[in-house]
Amino acid sequence: MTAMRARGEKRGGLRPAFLLKLFGVGFFVYLFFGFMLLPTLNTLTQIFTAKNPTTGATDPWAVIRFFLAGSMSKYLWNSVKLAVLLVVTVNVVGVSLVLLTEYFDIKGANILRMGYMTTLIYGGIALGTGYLFLYDSNGIITTLLINAFPGMNPNWFSGFRAVLFTMTFAVTSNHMLFLRNAIRGIDYNTVEAARNLGAGPLRVLWKVVFPTLLPTMFSLTVMTFITGLCAMSAPVLLGYDSINPEIVRLAGSSVADEAFPQARAALLSVILALFTIGLLTILSAYEKRGHYLSVSKTKARLVKQKINNPIANALAHIYAYVLFVVYMTPVVMIVIFSFQTHSAIQMKTLDFSNWTLINYVGQQDFSYLTSRGVHRVRQGAISGVFSNEATLGGIRTSFILSALAAAAACVIVVVACNYIFKRNKKGKLRRSGAVLEYSLLFPWLLPTILICYSYRIYFNSNDIWYVANQNLYYMENVRLLIIIAYMVVKLPFSLRMIKASFYAIDSELEDAARSLGAGGLTTFLRVKLPIILPSVLAVFALNFNALFTEYDMSATFASSYGTSYAMVLQSMTREEGLYGYNVNATGRRNASTVFIMLVSGLILYLVYGIGSRDLAERLQRRDKWRKRWDKMKGPFVRRKASMVNEQQNLIDIKDVAADFAGAMR
Amino acid sequence: MIELKDIVVQFGDFTALHNINVHVKEGEFFTFLGPSGCGKTTTLRAITGFVEPVQGSVHVAGRDITRVPIEERNIAIVFQSYALFPTMTVYDNIAFGLKIRRLKKDEIDRKVRAIAKKLDLSDEQLKKAVSQLSGGQQQRVAIARSLVNDPDIICMDEPLSNLDAKLRVQLRNELKDMQKNFGITSIYVTHDQEEALTLSDRIAVFNKGYIEQIGTPNEVYNHSATEFVCNFIGDINRLEAPLVTALRQKGMKLDPAHSHYLRLERLSLGEESASADLILPGVVESREYYGLYIKYSIRLDGQVIRAIEKNDGVHIHEPGEQLNVGLMARDLMRYDAQGKAVTA
Repeated sequence: MTAMRARGEKRGGLRPAFLLKLFGVGFFVYLFFGFMLLPTLNTLTQIFTAKNPTTGATDPWAVIRFFLAGSMSKYLWNSVKLAVLLVVTVNVVGVSLVLLTEYFDIKGANILRMGYMTTLIYGGIALGTGYLFLYDSNGIITTLLINAFPGMNPNWFSGFRAVLFTMTFAVTSNHMLFLRNAIRGIDYNTVEAARNLGAGPLRVLWKVVFPTLLPTMFSLTVMTFITGLCAMSAPVLLGYDSINPEIVRLAGSSVADEAFPQARAALLSVILALFTIGLLTILSAYEKRGHYLSVSKTKARLVKQKINNPIANALAHIYAYVLFVVYMTPVVMIVIFSFQTHSAIQMKTLDFSNWTLINYVGQQDFSYLTSRGVHRVRQGAISGVFSNEATLGGIRTSFILSALAAAAACVIVVVACNYIFKRNKKGKLRRSGAVLEYSLLFPWLLPTILICYSYRIYFNSNDIWYVANQNLYYMENVRLLIIIAYMVVKLPFSLRMIKASFYAIDSELEDAARSLGAGGLTTFLRVKLPIILPSVLAVFALNFNALFTEYDMSATFASSYGTSYAMVLQSMTREEGLYGYNVNATGRRNASTVFIMLVSGLILYLVYGIGSRDLAERLQRRDKWRKRWDKMKGPFVRRKASMVNEQQNLIDIKDVAADFAGAMR
Repeated sequence: MIELKDIVVQFGDFTALHNINVHVKEGEFFTFLGPSGCGKTTTLRAITGFVEPVQGSVHVAGRDITRVPIEERNIAIVFQSYALFPTMTVYDNIAFGLKIRRLKKDEIDRKVRAIAKKLDLSDEQLKKAVSQLSGGQQQRVAIARSLVNDPDIICMDEPLSNLDAKLRVQLRNELKDMQKNFGITSIYVTHDQEEALTLSDRIAVFNKGYIEQIGTPNEVYNHSATEFVCNFIGDINRLEAPLVTALRQKGMKLDPAHSHYLRLERLSLGEESASADLILPGVVESREYYGLYIKYSIRLDGQVIRAIEKNDGVHIHEPGEQLNVGLMARDLMRYDAQGKAVTA
């Protein structure tokens, strides 16, 4: 029997655990006040401290009056219009996608699903530029259409309609993730029961299936509304006056150009925040009302429903494949045209005889005729993604900033969740844990643009003592500011996802580890962390993918020291062939998009495909590979063994010969 | 070995344990038995350190461990869910505690393999993930993981409740053998009276945060100290007032102010009743066939009582059949108005 520690051993004082706790509390207070509350409050005060341009005196209501006069309300109205219509279109398309791939028996559903899910690896600005490639005035599809219908307006794909169309298909990825899970969670016995009680297929869909999807659909609706309200890349690319681009414009404007631009930007940001808070409050109240929980003891897996009416079945198939074409056309075209020469791209025709890798690697000179009729050669004007310093720089910057921010958000949230889930002596979760949780969810109340705008204004100063009086918006410092902004923006999402994985940890595992002698830190590192690691990696991957192609924030922080990949992509839509520079900008943009898709796809595969395997699966695979390896090397091993034997024989003979020679001597 | 002195545990305003006093001897198999929410697991958690009592103390081998941290108590636990670490192999699960103690690698290996051998876990199984094992094997891993650290005490919190009936009986026997072989002081929590009776040296019966009785299986079954214990352990007939009156009229000394109970197997039926102290005429109302025995509902004078009879395949009574029911005065269990046992 081993001895146990005697009673009364001192456990207080400056022990490492206590110091660690103190550091943790200090860090979270610093993070919340320093990078969430104070910059936002500063933005709020800006509205009421605007100076009257004529008198120079502080006029608290000047911006409000300006807003009420109507010149700014256009942006608000446009954003609200986009958000409302987006809710309708995204839900119609998103619900269709899920029903077509998961509920109805549609032929080729697996391929359709892959097509519909391409937005997971191809979204944001990459998708926007992809759509532009097809549909703008010089786009492939527009060119084809104009050839067919000469009277058609070549600029048909711009403004509100274009933004709505692009965003509708970009935002359905949430439906494919969350609504798909919800529909797969339906107990098929409930469908069978309804059919058994006399309900027809449509009635079952309406009365049994839809009600169980409603909570998820409601959440998705709110999130879609907020996405529409805060839209940035699509309005910028496609030319639509909504709030976010206006905020970015105003943030970069000066008093000399227009009346109190910063205060106006602040007001617009705060209006967005009020909308967001209102919507999230509604969502939270709805969630608190409770969901439709399945009471089934044994769930039956959903069986796909055949559409018995042949006309309806044919229409459903046509609809499914039209959507598939809409989703896949930009992807396929971008992949194909990433291997085409700049002249083929400019002509919008496929040149089957001339495939090239120049959009990926290598450089070529470009010969062109100037307006004065002189032939000039611009050296290296045609270059690939990995040979073009600007593009490569954007990739490098985005990669590093996104990886660091995504990792930091995950680490912070994991540490926080470990604290949130600790129980007090009464076995209850601690109140301080709840405070920590709400402080990390705080950025959810604020639109991304407000956070970034607030950072840009607040930290563009040498007077902020808690960042060592460094101007974080100055030169290289802006990269740190972008990392912090990325991280803060991703905290709420990371918290919700990682917290869910902490719920899955059986509290008895922790008790077991402690009873076996493990302290808090060891229990966390060796028992809890390995369990939640797949989820943490998944969150890291989702965060990284989102940030890697993120546009809104980097546009707000626009700086030559923080030029992100998305900004490089956007610039490539404008600079093509200007003065013989960037001749193959579109081709390189396509190649970049292909690269993004590959990176995002690879990360998702690593995390969801490999990372989600449990230990049993990993061990089984290892055994399988070992057996294969043994089988493969079998002949070699046998040959090696026979060679060893031959050598041994040889050695024996040599020994005998040596002995014999020795004896002879 | 283990002594709980006046333990009080509160969760907010709710008092989960009221002045619990228990003394467990070294090498004893001691069971906490009771219905859900009675405080048996809370008592176990107070011993292991997961719950801190607001009053009272926990002593092990004469040393007060009430405030000793969990990880320093050297008390092993086998959980209801086994709490095996899903990200570790069977080997790593068993070696976990040894690694925490920073033992040398070869010593860890020797100890793990030795305990695995004792608990019938093969080398092949040691390499597997815990999810690849059956319920019974997982239970063995959980026990091996607990015992490999050479604990002073092993606590088991309903470790058989997740298993099917047949495996439960098999592992129950193995558990008893294992405890005998290792000679380790064991505390076992269960709500299953059969498990408690078959496994334990002594049993503490809990009710609403109080201990109703501590005794050997025979004591708690045949000499239940309280009305709650006699009701909770085994199947029993409560004699209602009309039947008590009828029995008194036939000369049995019964106090109408007391409650009277009679276990089902103590009633003799038909010819068997001839040697009983008292014989009552009855009619079989229904029959439940259990295989090993048959349970009858029999209408006596003013009350339907239940009785069981060994299934000999010959003397099987049909519903509607008239038969004599015999009972012995010494088999009656009597309780006063406070539910305390009264001797005849």
